Amino acid sequence: MNGLSHGSAPARVLRIGTLYLVLLGLGALFATPVAWMLSSSLHTLPDVFAQPYRWLPAVLQWENYVRAVTILPVPLFLWNTIVITVPVMAATALSSALVAYGFARFRFPGRDLLFSLCLATMMLPGQVTMIPLYILFARLGWVDTYLPLIVPALFGSPFYIFLLRQFFLTIPKDSEEAALIDGASRLRIWWSIILPQARPALATVLIFTFIGTWNDFFGPLLYLNSPEKATLTLGLNLMKTQVLGSGVVEWNVLMAGSLLVLLPNVVLFFLAQQHFIKGISMGASK
Amino acid sequence: MTLMKLPEAPLTSFVRYLLPGFLASLFLLTGCGGSGGNDRTIVYNCAANTAEIAALKPAQEKFFARTGIHVKLNPFSGEEKLYAMIAAGQAPDVFYTNNAVRDRLAAEGRLLDLRPFAEQDPVWAKLRPEVKAAAVSADGGIYSLGNWTHTCGVYYDRAAFAAAGLKPPAADWTWADFRAAAQALTRDDNGDGKPERYGAFIPAHFIEALEQMNHAPIAHDGLFLAIPPEAREAYAAYLELIRAGVMPDIRRVQALGMQAAQMLQSGRVAMLFEAVPHTGLIETLTNDWAVAPLPRFGAKEPRYFRSASGGLSLSATVENPADAWRALVWLISEAEPYQPSPVLAAVPFVTAWEEKYPRLRGRGFREVWELSEQHPGGDPRYFVRFASWSMGPVMTRFQPWLDRLWSGDATIDQVVAAVPGINAEVRRDLERQLQSSALRPAWKAALEKALAEAQP
Repeated sequence: MNGLSHGSAPARVLRIGTLYLVLLGLGALFATPVAWMLSSSLHTLPDVFAQPYRWLPAVLQWENYVRAVTILPVPLFLWNTIVITVPVMAATALSSALVAYGFARFRFPGRDLLFSLCLATMMLPGQVTMIPLYILFARLGWVDTYLPLIVPALFGSPFYIFLLRQFFLTIPKDSEEAALIDGASRLRIWWSIILPQARPALATVLIFTFIGTWNDFFGPLLYLNSPEKATLTLGLNLMKTQVLGSGVVEWNVLMAGSLLVLLPNVVLFFLAQQHFIKGISMGASK
Repeated sequence: MTLMKLPEAPLTSFVRYLLPGFLASLFLLTGCGGSGGNDRTIVYNCAANTAEIAALKPAQEKFFARTGIHVKLNPFSGEEKLYAMIAAGQAPDVFYTNNAVRDRLAAEGRLLDLRPFAEQDPVWAKLRPEVKAAAVSADGGIYSLGNWTHTCGVYYDRAAFAAAGLKPPAADWTWADFRAAAQALTRDDNGDGKPERYGAFIPAHFIEALEQMNHAPIAHDGLFLAIPPEAREAYAAYLELIRAGVMPDIRRVQALGMQAAQMLQSGRVAMLFEAVPHTGLIETLTNDWAVAPLPRFGAKEPRYFRSASGGLSLSATVENPADAWRALVWLISEAEPYQPSPVLAAVPFVTAWEEKYPRLRGRGFREVWELSEQHPGGDPRYFVRFASWSMGPVMTRFQPWLDRLWSGDATIDQVVAAVPGINAEVRRDLERQLQSSALRPAWKAALEKALAEAQP
């Protein structure tokens, strides 16, 4: 029974009302930066920092959006971003699910130690591994290609391995045992029985991976050198020192560009909201 | 128990179609890179924007037609990336360094000593004196050539001055004149204590310019921190502007992420300390602006800010040093997008800039530049003021004190009292540095000598 259902009707209304007010307040707080982005993207440059700030400009500067997509080769950068994001999503989801299945179902010596080691890698800051990884990829001749951004996804991600393992532990073993009796291999069981049942968790992994890869700035910055291979986030960075040249940022155009880059994230979130929330909550239960 | 019916061989489909497709994509992606195999290619790490990339393209083609050297731009740069590239033995051939970074890399043998090239190339003799002076490091080597020079001035809104009944700043105006103008230009029309327009704004990184104008003895390449009385006076004058409400709180400006041009353009401030020339301000300001020299401190002779620090370095691992040198010289002295060259003595700098930006005429640019050449104070900034060995150790400890000072959480006396402790820790850091096996012998000897002679 939900705690909110306790007490008399007025008290319950008060509690729910208060809860909604707090949530609305927090929602407004978190939405403010995005609202500022949207508002600024429709201002002229001098008005962006005018005091007092006008949230709704007198004349909406829609041309900022046109400018944002014309000063940079946006279709090329978009394609480059997709070329990285899609394989990373697929590779992360499949490899993490495979490893998680192993940790969830197989008994072997050192399993828990391996799992702990896997989780411990999450605690390594990126700065620690940055230079060794760069040296590795440089020796492989992969710098200025997309491979350093994609191939690591083939080896799973510790957080998603943890998330999926927790989910797999909640799946009853009956159907797997039946499949084993029918002669199915473990790989077949993983593919045909486990993965279909793990769709909410996989959706979460895919969404998180999409957001992480789509918005990744540092990885492409580190490994890419050629302008024609830039992703959207690198393109935004070019825009930051761009537009008016000489280090002056046209914040209104930059905000328009940033919103356009952000848009797929927002659309994806709303389309997959149900999976997203399910996935988050499932990670907390066993 | 009902046995589940398995789907028609999905795994086989996966293995047969999807996996090969995925691997084929990776294989194709492997081919997306490389330098193209041109062994006369010089990679230039340059934080360029698309406008700069576009402007450089025809210049690169002309340079290639003339020399056979292809300059390849890498516009995605940054300090972390540079270190990673160096560690991997894949440093770009030409890249920007400021003096501190340059000397650190040079001390580890990461940079090419340019002396042999400079001795033979007539371009060295053509450089402005301050560019040549800034190029020489502590071991006597030349590890970079400057690609920019500038001074510092007070940009101001002429219309605001006129509306406030003020005369434009005179060439010999003083801090008292500046302070009075800042007061007169500050407007708080609704009386809420938050001015709609502040009289002035001096970014914190120009505090050294004030110290220098007040004749604080600034020891270039000093190992230890010193805050002489003249520096304390400059700090006090700076803080007084904030306390009097004629200058915005630095934290607020930082939080807004406002840039110099926007502050002046939007009317948030009427006077602004900034670099001269500053292409961003020149290109973007649409209001009636002009620039004045820095105000003098009383009757003291002016010592104007003059900087030629920072420049282009060559990696020690460059495959074709002669080509890389040629590309470097081209970039600092000939490449069309960077003309007129600010580093060549023969270039009439003011006239050339007025031709490039006609709006500079009649706005005080010529006067500010010429005064700075007549009364040069050099570059007092921290990464020039301290030796390359001690800039990091000093600023790591001193910057938090400065931040506290500007935000009102510490007093000048407290900051001064912290100096001996800071210097003791700096000395310990430097002695540890001497143990580093990465330090080249010439640099180690120079550091030992400097430490022996230094009086913290």
